[in-house]
Amino acid sequence: MSGSTTEGGASLGRDAGGEPSAASVVERLLSRLDAALEHLAEAKPFAKSIYQTDVFQIAEALMNAEGGLDALYSRAHRFDAAGVFEGGPWLDASKLQPPLVEGSLKARGVYPVVETLSELRVLAIARGRVEAGATTMSREDAVEFLQDVMALNLEFIFPADTEEERISGGPHRASNIRLFGLIAREIGLRSLLADVVDEIEQISAQRPINCARLTRMVDMATRIPADAVEPAVAERLQVFASAAHAPTPLSVELSDLAAYRQALKDCDAAKLDAEARMFADSINETGLVAPHHAVLVRRVCAQAPELLGVALGLGAQGRAELEAQQELVLRLCKVAILPATAQAIYGLAGVLKRAMLSRSEVAAGLQRLVSLDLQSDVRRTLLARRAHRDGVTANALLVAGALSVLGRPLGVGQGNNPTCQAARGISLWSQHAPGYLLEMLISAARDGLVEKDFEGERLKSSDIEHGLVLRLDTDLDPVSLVLVPHLDRLYSLMMKRVATRSEDGHKWVNPAFYGRWVPHGFASVFADVAQTTVAEHDDFVRRFYATHHPAYNEGHDLMYPNPVGLCITNARGDYLGPHAVSLLRVGEDPHGALRVYFFNPNNEGRQDWGHGVRPSIRGNGESEGESSLPFHQMVTRLYAFHYNPYEEGDAFAVPPETLQEVEQAARGSWGRAFSWR
Amino acid sequence: MSNNGKQAPRTALLGFCIPAMEALDKVGRPFLAVVPPEFEAYMQEHDIAHVLWDFSRVNETSMQLSKTLQERGVEVAVPLFEETVEWAGAVNGFLRDDPRLFTRYLLFRDKAMMKRRAQMYGIRVGVFEEADNREDVSRFFKRVNKALSKLDSDVADPVHLKPLAAAGCVGHRFIRSEQDIAVLQDDEFPCLLETHLDGQEFSCEVFIHDSKIRFLNITEYVHLGHSNFVPASPSLEERRPYVRKAVEELIDAFGIQYGMIHPEFFITSDNKINFGEVAARVPGGHIFELIEKAYGFSPFVAFAMCSDPATTDEELAAYLPDERQHKDYAGCLMVYPRQKIVTRVDVPDRLIADDYYEKHALFQPVTPKVAERAGFGDHYGTVYFRGDNSARMRDLLLEYEQVDFYTSDAPAAS
Repeated sequence: MSGSTTEGGASLGRDAGGEPSAASVVERLLSRLDAALEHLAEAKPFAKSIYQTDVFQIAEALMNAEGGLDALYSRAHRFDAAGVFEGGPWLDASKLQPPLVEGSLKARGVYPVVETLSELRVLAIARGRVEAGATTMSREDAVEFLQDVMALNLEFIFPADTEEERISGGPHRASNIRLFGLIAREIGLRSLLADVVDEIEQISAQRPINCARLTRMVDMATRIPADAVEPAVAERLQVFASAAHAPTPLSVELSDLAAYRQALKDCDAAKLDAEARMFADSINETGLVAPHHAVLVRRVCAQAPELLGVALGLGAQGRAELEAQQELVLRLCKVAILPATAQAIYGLAGVLKRAMLSRSEVAAGLQRLVSLDLQSDVRRTLLARRAHRDGVTANALLVAGALSVLGRPLGVGQGNNPTCQAARGISLWSQHAPGYLLEMLISAARDGLVEKDFEGERLKSSDIEHGLVLRLDTDLDPVSLVLVPHLDRLYSLMMKRVATRSEDGHKWVNPAFYGRWVPHGFASVFADVAQTTVAEHDDFVRRFYATHHPAYNEGHDLMYPNPVGLCITNARGDYLGPHAVSLLRVGEDPHGALRVYFFNPNNEGRQDWGHGVRPSIRGNGESEGESSLPFHQMVTRLYAFHYNPYEEGDAFAVPPETLQEVEQAARGSWGRAFSWR
Repeated sequence: MSNNGKQAPRTALLGFCIPAMEALDKVGRPFLAVVPPEFEAYMQEHDIAHVLWDFSRVNETSMQLSKTLQERGVEVAVPLFEETVEWAGAVNGFLRDDPRLFTRYLLFRDKAMMKRRAQMYGIRVGVFEEADNREDVSRFFKRVNKALSKLDSDVADPVHLKPLAAAGCVGHRFIRSEQDIAVLQDDEFPCLLETHLDGQEFSCEVFIHDSKIRFLNITEYVHLGHSNFVPASPSLEERRPYVRKAVEELIDAFGIQYGMIHPEFFITSDNKINFGEVAARVPGGHIFELIEKAYGFSPFVAFAMCSDPATTDEELAAYLPDERQHKDYAGCLMVYPRQKIVTRVDVPDRLIADDYYEKHALFQPVTPKVAERAGFGDHYGTVYFRGDNSARMRDLLLEYEQVDFYTSDAPAAS
């Protein structure tokens, strides 16, 4: 831009053509910003909101003006002190959450403006432009925050000019791209790819069913210029990039699916076998399936069914099941394994490993889905999730989705929705009641309702106006997409019914909602329904040890997933909110330490709950999709669990030191947000 | 503050209004805010003296507000919003032991009643009638046009329809044909019907103490509900003596002693003034902001001072400037979306570069679909102007009234 040309003279902002020049517009806006910040700074806290509007409005104009963002950044060190964030969720810089940035930047209204100002403020902290006493965030934390934010928003750092990105980037996409250009320039991209690849590996280790976000991250990461990348990191990334798109030499050569299909026809058995093996290795390593894999599976089904076991990467158990159910498997492949649904190949492999097709209710349920009459809105919702029009039917998507959930029960995720309860349910039923899950899915897809009994009354989801979610984020697997709206409504209605009872409503709702797999014994740390006061924490911990710790519970292993409530904390140990996970098992890890293995429906990669509590997802004996924590660390974040009163061991035997340790850790983290009795 | 350390009586502000609280706080005038219960957390967080009150509920416990305020040492209640006007009447009547005060405040809440009162005191008003249903409207519309000796083939003269008790332009409709009458909803009745008044429309913000005008501002309406500025242009200001006389007649007719009123008038080219309506709360159209910019004093503070019988003439004289000594013309444009779907805000660069442009508060709407408006609804955003020439101010407001600030990326749905 021509910033220097208007300096010096008292330009009134019009060049020869009569239109104001960009530089003079920025100059004008900047002097207005200074005045607005001054007024804001002078205002008392209760009146700041009057003056914030002016700042936001001028900031928005600067965000959209050529050279305006740098000008805005030049004042960023004053934002906090002036009160730009007073009265809103951005107030305390130390409480900012990297995962929330993207949503605000892509939103409408004033949010993207405030979010941008907040990023600029953090950038000023990171660059040492804010005095240490003037902010709650340290310089190191600011740098780390921005690195995380960059890793989560690669689309703005390396934008692609596709229609999809233009739409998904939100109304402020252009200024978001400028913002990240500025952050990248100031912070540097050096550690970026390593961070991103870490995140990709962490997410992939959990083997999510819905791989859209993972694939997007992989694609974004491959845009990072080669000179900014260490070779070892690039190699790790390449594994995922290949798995998502072209894991074999032939698929690399023929990216066009039709050409690839033709080439497969000319392959002899040995070549086909080799191709199938490469695909199978690639999924087993990454959990990602390339569209070409679906073409191969279809080819194998038609030409060499004996290779199907190889193409699916099955072991002895899976092969035995395949042999017994070959006819059904071929039929399902024909309907549901398509380039658009390639990810379901991994699900199908899981279904065979778990011998699910030998259960008659599962076989019947899946076949019913093939020709089910779908509600028109269900059909629309399913088809709307496709990346492009490819002729696939909504039924095919639903069958593929069901295969994925049944094959990978721990890969269910809640997406960007507050529906951990529903995700947890789908996961539980796909493990222990697959017939029931399919029955609900069929009812939701065909009849537009799900029914559940609650305390002698039959509740119909179609009679309930709304649940917790007002607008479902549709970045979900097909089964969740269809079921979650119903489950969410049923769950909220049940919680409403028990809202006035004297104890935590989950006590009654969980067994009714999830079914007979949840024991009726229930313990919570909260003494009141409003959940503001923690009482008798030591009794609570004793009971958990006596029912779950093998040294005190008389060796009763967990039979079914136990829905428990956690108080989630951030990396500094500050309370964020309640979250639902399922305990899956308790056992010794390879290093001899006792751990709790659990299912966390939020599919998050890096998790840091502060004070050294970092759930791990691999390397400590976890199966794919499991998270784990050392036993005592888990207890420090626990606030509610179910148990079978007849399987309670020796609560009295739990040593007082253990109780004290746990209580201290709880009080020092989430407990700070509550009163204790 | 000019009260030389004398402890000012505590003022109760009726309604939650941050600019009002800030204005009083700035001049060190102690106040207490009476706010609806949903603002409790805000008041507590900022440690502001307050009483929680649900203004929408009138019942046998309503007296309690007056008593509570008296116990808290309040001497004067200042109504900020239309819905709080009768509460101010009740509280002030109780505190001053003058029951008639309440009934006088009630006049401000019924547009037909206030017109009748004005008419009884010889003030020029249009022909008006209360209507309970569509038939009433139809009859009034026909009779007015008959009285104007209109033929069936002539274009009918429009009549105005307003709810009896709503602020400003809310629910204001033009009736131009039987078609307009047919679409009226049952919940729009009862309402006020009145003939269309010719002449230039303007409003006054009159600060009254001891029944005397202490400051009279004239706000010029470029287009009612869309654009206005302060002070009025010289051609209207020249006629200030006529305006002042009309306002004095109004003060007399309504028996107003203390506070501020916001009447609307129409003035004809031969200086005949017709009375439109009058309110006793903070005016809309950002008028208080404009007055503050144009004259350099806070109308909120002036409102509070004038509401208080204990304020001295000296204090008023020290605080209020000369009506003829404005610093600038301050105007604003209230912007409404013109399309049904809006996704973007487009502010022309030439506006931002204009010397008279001050600021705007236009943000991209959170939902793209524009809410259906019946009559005049709330505007979506505001553009502020400031400069030293009223003609240029008027031209700018007219020019930017034509600009479509809210646009859509998607093709507009039809």
